[in-house]
Parts: sequence; C-alpha cells; structure tokens
Amino acid sequence: MSTEPRIAFKAGRAFRRENTNWVDPDPTKGAVILQNGEDGLLHFIWKNRTTNDSEEDLILFPSDATFAPVTQAASGRVYVLKFSSSNQRHFDADSTRDKDFVQNVNRLLLNPEELPVWFTGFPDALGTAAFEEPGTAQASSSSSSAQPAQPSQPAQPGQPGFQFTQEQLNQFQSMIESSGAGANVPPVVELSLTDVLTPANLTPLFTSHPELIQTLFPHLPPDLPSPPTPQTIQQVISSPQFRAAVRNFDQALRTGLLGGLVRGLGLPEEAGTGVEAFLRAIQDQAREGGGGDSMDTD
Amino acid sequence: MSGEDDSSGWQLTESDPSVFTELLKSLGVPLVVDDLYSLDSGALSTFQPIHALIFLFKWVGSSAEPSSGGQYDLEFPGFFAHQVVNNACATLAVMNAIGNIPDLPKGVQLSDLINFTVGMDPQTRGMVITSADWLREAHNALSPPSAISLEGLGLPKTTEEAYHFIVYLPYMGSVYELDGLKDSPVQHGPYEEKGEGWLAKAREVIEARIATYPPGSLEFSLLALHDDPLPTLQTSLSEAQASGNHAAVEEIMVRLANENSKRERWAFENSLRRHNYVGFIHALLSAMGKAGALDKAKEDAQAKMQERIAKRKEKGEAAMDED
Repeated sequence: MSTEPRIAFKAGRAFRRENTNWVDPDPTKGAVILQNGEDGLLHFIWKNRTTNDSEEDLILFPSDATFAPVTQAASGRVYVLKFSSSNQRHFDADSTRDKDFVQNVNRLLLNPEELPVWFTGFPDALGTAAFEEPGTAQASSSSSSAQPAQPSQPAQPGQPGFQFTQEQLNQFQSMIESSGAGANVPPVVELSLTDVLTPANLTPLFTSHPELIQTLFPHLPPDLPSPPTPQTIQQVISSPQFRAAVRNFDQALRTGLLGGLVRGLGLPEEAGTGVEAFLRAIQDQAREGGGGDSMDTD
Repeated sequence: MSGEDDSSGWQLTESDPSVFTELLKSLGVPLVVDDLYSLDSGALSTFQPIHALIFLFKWVGSSAEPSSGGQYDLEFPGFFAHQVVNNACATLAVMNAIGNIPDLPKGVQLSDLINFTVGMDPQTRGMVITSADWLREAHNALSPPSAISLEGLGLPKTTEEAYHFIVYLPYMGSVYELDGLKDSPVQHGPYEEKGEGWLAKAREVIEARIATYPPGSLEFSLLALHDDPLPTLQTSLSEAQASGNHAAVEEIMVRLANENSKRERWAFENSLRRHNYVGFIHALLSAMGKAGALDKAKEDAQAKMQERIAKRKEKGEAAMDED
C-alpha cells in the first residue's frame, strides 16, 4: 500500500511548560506530515527540516485525535493535536493561514481515505527547503507559484508562497466524503465481542433454541474429563479461559488481518477485517442457512 | 528485575495449582501442588509430607524491595538455576524445587536434563533448562494455543506482569530459599527434625518476609509441593476394607471423593486452557444469528462501548489509556 504523504505543511513546534498551561514555541524549522505507514495506520510525523530527521511519529486512530487551534496564542496560529484516549497533547505552530485547512486535517483524521492528487513528488519538494518560514511572509516572485485551477494538476509545493487554495481544500474534502475502499485503516471501535458473547446473552438460547445448542457440542474441547452436557456449555461460556479467548479474538479481529483465518470458517475474507464485518458476515451466513457446523480451524 | 524481555517461545502460564500439577505429571513426577490458605500446623498437616513451599507474589510497591534475611550460599551443592526467560518463571521454580528432592521418581528426559547440568553455574544451568525444547513444549501445553499469534503485530500490550516465584525447601539440615533472580540460594539456618521439622523454620522465614512489605502492597499465594495422596488413600482403603474397619473405610472414601472431584475440576480447567476457541466462537455467534438474537446483542454491545468511552473521556485527561 502507498506510503506517500497524504497531507503536509510547514510547522514549528511548541512545548508546554511542565505543570503549567504555558506553551513556548520552538524555533526549529519543521514540517508536519500525515501519511500512511507500512503498518497501514495513519501517522502524524513531525520532521526537522534542518536535519531531515523525523523527530516525532504518532499513530492516529480515527476519532481518537483532533487538531484544533489554541485560541489564546497571540499569533492565532498555534494548533494542538489532542488524543481523546490519552493525556498526550502535541503543539504545532502552524504557518498556514487557512482555517479551513485545520478542518480538513480533522476530516482526514476522522476518516483517512484517498491520496490527494497534489502531493505527487512532495517528498523531494520538502528537501529543497523552499518553504515559507513561520511568521514571515514571502512575496511570490514567479508566476509558477500561482495555484492551479484544475484539481487534477499537481500543485507546486516546493514553490515559495505555497498555500492550499480553497479550491484544493474543497476537492480534498469531497474526495474524503466520496469514500473509496478503505485501506487497512483501523475502524472506530464501536463494539467488543466480549459484550456480545456474554452469559446473559447466551443463556436464553438454552431454553428458546435447544436445537441450536446442539450445534455447539462439536466445538467444545475434545479432552473434557466427562461427556459434555448443556450445563458444560454454560460452564465453558462463564469460564475465565473462554472469556480470555474472546478478548484475544476481539483484539485480533481489530487488526483487520484475519482474512485468511476466517476463510477456514467458511466466511468471506472480508469477514476478517474487523469485528463489525465479522458479525455482518455471520448474520448473512445464518440467514442463508449455513454456519455453525463449519470446518474446524484446529 | 533482570531477565530478558524476549520470551524465547515460552508462553506465560497461569499460576494455578492445577497448572503446576499438570506440568509435574507431564514430567513424570508423582507430586501434586495445592494452595495453602495458611501456614498454621493444621493447614500444613493436610498435605504432609511437604517437599517444598512455593511462594509467589506480585509486589506493587514503589521503593526498593525489602531484603529477605538469611545468607547467600555461593557453595550450594544442589540444583539451582537462574531465571533467564521471564515467561518460564513457573517452570523454573518447579525445576529448582524438584532438582533438590532426594529419591524423587522422574521421567527419563527430566533425569537426563538434571544430570546434564551437574557442576554448571546457575546462569548456565538456567540457559540449558530454558533451551530444552521438550520442556518448553510441556510448559506451553498449559496455556491457550497461539493459533492467533498477536506477537509482532505491534499491538499495545496489557501490562500483565509475571508473578515472582520463590522456592523454600530443606537441604542438608537447613532451610533454603531458591530465587531464580538472585545470584545464589539463600540459607536461612538449620531446623530441628522433630515435630513439624523444616516447616516450622520455613514458616518463621516466610512470615517474617511477608511482614516486611508495607500492608496492602503485596499480592501473594503459597503453594505446597507434596506427594500425590491418591495412591496412599487407595492402599489405606484396601487395608481398611480388608480389616473390616467401617469407620476408617467411610472416612477414607470421603477423602478420596474430595480428592477425585478436585482432580476432575482441575482436568476440566486444563482442558479449557488448551483449547482453541475460534470454532466455538463462530458457532456461538451463528447460533445467536439463527435465533435472531444477534442484532439486539450488537446494539447492547454498542451502547456499552459508548458508555465506556464516555467514562474514559471523563477521567481520560488524567490517565494514559491503552486500547
């Protein structure tokens, strides 16, 4: 999968003074790059433009992070990357003066999707350090810095005075909203299998659908000390070993990498891409009359 | 704590008596492990003769761990191995115990392994033990199969630390403490053969140790490594039956019934530990689907998750979370 940067802009960093809410800007020239890593996850990278080192590399899960302006900052151009799941906050002094840009970074964080057209060749442009410094304006002296009107034409990120136009941002936004097939992006965690496979949910089936309970016996441990009964199934479902297995499987499903494994259960590969997908596939399979007496995976 | 982070293929096991007993069985050793709920003479006499005590604990204190008293015995002539792989700690403790019990029946592989390490220093012995494939397989057989290996996927790890295991046993007239994370065994002094024997001394040492931890900072269990009672009970039963001692027969049968039902419970738990549940999970969800119960379960699960996230957000500013 492509690891081209999805979005990038010059930005310095600012650091919060410990135990205060005071933020001090750091003069090091840098850039923020959002790109998909080899792991298929969206990375928020801060690159030092002097040394060319990537000094920060954070993984962003959709809905977990937001990029927002710090309204108290005098320059009006300090933004904070906040994670809803942790205490970490990262501050960036942003050089772009376009507020819409922030909204679009947020949209990208909410649902990372298509690669925007205008970032082809971007990594080279970064290296030329032809960027506007934070806080300084440069008059654009060449006509090639004019922004292209057609969204399909690559922009010139290396040119002085580079800025995203409203046109580009709109284009970007509509690309996101017209969602394509997602890459291996971790879905928003909506539910956990441990809350589905609870004794409370399963116990009623013993009285309402005893014939379905029969379908479970072949899947019990083969070396039980005595022949299993419906009560055995109840015991297994409430056991710490089973609950640990469900937690494990839930976590494994969230990696989206169980396509191969679920095919062994007679399910389509798509069922291995997440918990929701797994449950949907089982629903479909149940409707079509299959499942339950599928191939054993061990 | 020293010890590699690399698990070298050793899976983390539960520290349950049933797990230890199963391991001993697979090693061909006719000993059993039971939980001790107290160190008083009544509790200890239930399992006589006790060959070793295993003290396992998780210490959640923040300052340096208190010292345990006694003296290091660098010349210890018995079996002592360093813990070189954290996940192997339970099996290592068992080895340090059974390696020092005289005249103990063992399986061939175990005998060979112990003999092979004679004369080695503790570190080398630890490495040799940890490299024994058959031993690692016996150890891993006690935990869930890694049909789905989550290693190497870069998932955030839940910080489930292994318990720390310490073996106390009698050796050449003194009570010894064998801690795989210490350089050498620790000698706690001689004991008297009469009465409770070495156990009286061991009780002193262990209680003193427990007392040095600040209250509430120590999570621990005490296990007794002792002879399997079943063969003796069987023999006693036959004898009592032969001599027509009905009272004795009844009493022994009650004890046999208790022991057998405990062993059956252990066998049930161990079989659950070894099982791969993927097929069962699929079958359960399918059954729910066919019963029309899956949609409601999904909705409820979604609601629960929302609640959790909201709660986490509330205290989330103060806590680092690992999803």
